[in-house]
Amino acid sequence: MTLFESLPAACFQGVIPAAISTCSADGTPNVTYLSQVFRMDARHVALSCQFFNKTKQNVLENPFASVELYDPVDFSSYRLELKYERAETGGALFDAMALRIQAIASHTGLKGVFRLLSADVYEVLACERREAFLVPAATDEPEEPVDPHVPQSELRCLHLVSQRTARAPTLDALFTALLEALEQSIGFRHSMVLLPDETGTRLFAVASRGYGDEGVGAEISFGDGLIGTVARERRPLRLSNVNSELRYGRAVRASVQATSGRRELVAEIPLPGLPNAQSQLAIPLLACERLMGVLAVESQSPLGFDEWDEAFLDIVGNQVAASIDSAILRERGEDVAQLATTGSSSTSEGSHAGKSERTASPKASGPLRRFRFFASDDCVFVGDEYLIRNLPGRILWKLLRATVDSGRTEFTNRELRLDASLGLPGVRDNLESRLVLLRRRLEQKCPELRLVSTGRGHFRLDLACVPELEEVV
Amino acid sequence: MQVGTRDKALRPEVLRAVGVAVGPDRSTLTVYVPAELAERTVANLEDNGMLAITFSHVIDHRTVQLKGKLLSLRRSRRNERALQERWLAAFAEQLHMVGFSRRLALRIRIWPSIALEIELCDLFVQTPGPGAGRRIEGSA
Repeated sequence: MTLFESLPAACFQGVIPAAISTCSADGTPNVTYLSQVFRMDARHVALSCQFFNKTKQNVLENPFASVELYDPVDFSSYRLELKYERAETGGALFDAMALRIQAIASHTGLKGVFRLLSADVYEVLACERREAFLVPAATDEPEEPVDPHVPQSELRCLHLVSQRTARAPTLDALFTALLEALEQSIGFRHSMVLLPDETGTRLFAVASRGYGDEGVGAEISFGDGLIGTVARERRPLRLSNVNSELRYGRAVRASVQATSGRRELVAEIPLPGLPNAQSQLAIPLLACERLMGVLAVESQSPLGFDEWDEAFLDIVGNQVAASIDSAILRERGEDVAQLATTGSSSTSEGSHAGKSERTASPKASGPLRRFRFFASDDCVFVGDEYLIRNLPGRILWKLLRATVDSGRTEFTNRELRLDASLGLPGVRDNLESRLVLLRRRLEQKCPELRLVSTGRGHFRLDLACVPELEEVV
Repeated sequence: MQVGTRDKALRPEVLRAVGVAVGPDRSTLTVYVPAELAERTVANLEDNGMLAITFSHVIDHRTVQLKGKLLSLRRSRRNERALQERWLAAFAEQLHMVGFSRRLALRIRIWPSIALEIELCDLFVQTPGPGAGRRIEGSA
């Protein structure tokens, strides 16, 4: 194996920017920094070209380049001698490099402005380690801290995740089991699952781990930021040293504003997740080409995730997507069967399995809680605090209204499906995942209300408060 | 801070610099490069004297590139070491502000070094973005 082949993968994550020197045909040297060096194979690298700059102009005139790369773990320095071969403007290499730039561009409000023009392919003519770049570390100094997660064997990790998720009886339990298993098996301490909402244009976080109470319910549009880009492109994406990437994007933004005064630049998009995340990895959850959601993990370490993590999470994602699909079908199955036999014209709930659903609630007791429904944006507040909106907001309001008006506390998924006022999409609705979100938001923001499963497709609204409802038109 | 040079056959070379001092007339400057790594750079400069230097602010990527011509080249004097040490401390501080330990940067070898005395010929904006490559007027 050559030195180039054995260079640590971290050298190619752009944590410490590489530098490139080129020379024009008239002999004028040029030196600048690179945002991305991608190791293609044993003899080639690809460099990202976002702007037609002097470097590009030079290598078209004189193909040679000298690059200095750094290992961000110990700051070792490597020198590459390169020869420009070609520019790729499509295909797998281009797509992989473009995806990362798209994520940063969308986050910094630079969609369409900051984009990959080409993936420029260079042959590696020579590679050497610059031994004298660093002075030896003092022997009594502890080593630089490195990310502490040391994966167990791949098989054991997969086994744990697979076992936990396969045994989860409900969709809700599946998400909890998945995120727990990812932390226990591989040390992913900050993770979230996001699912598409009923419009198919936004994602909402249905489960999270390592974010306190703030994770669940976070929303992001398709195409925005890392997670939105992964949802739109349906491809995994890993970013190292996120802060540096964002600073780079902001530098471009400032440059765009300074040079052209473009007013159409949109505002930066707040990232859901850790405010100080340094690494992010997100994968699409695909079942038979359908996007079931996105699984995203974050780390405060600039080198939190490597190629192994990406490959591992991809395998887990394939399995989880299938599990989500089957859990939804399982939870929905009974409803669909009943809908097929009873039709969808009736909105009145009768009985199921001989058990009345219109059981009178026990007299609600506990503190008075005021719930307000803002019809203009389907938003529910408890007290003065935002609770939930959109479809889960409408569902909660329907449940509360039924409880207060008629004393009902037992409900079925089926009656929600039949209620045209809720506006569930007709085909492959996302009722189950929206109920998971509602249940989790209640746990976090209003524990006096609980959605308790009473059997497949059936649930009860438990109240530990006296609800007072106000509808704001 | 990176120095770009080239040889007789127009093959480029890149090397990280480890300190800079701007001359009192602001049209010359002295750039320090680590002696043990500077063999190619020195040979290139002795051949043709042409060089480019890029200075970048770690925090916000504000970057400028200077094009220059070598005036002289010599071993750094002992009293110049303190200037390089101040540069390294400032660089380590910037890296620390973006999440790296100071100790990482403080291991960069700065001594012994070669002092490159340079005449400033041109100055360009190099901050990433569409404005990169724009000449800064009045720079030469």
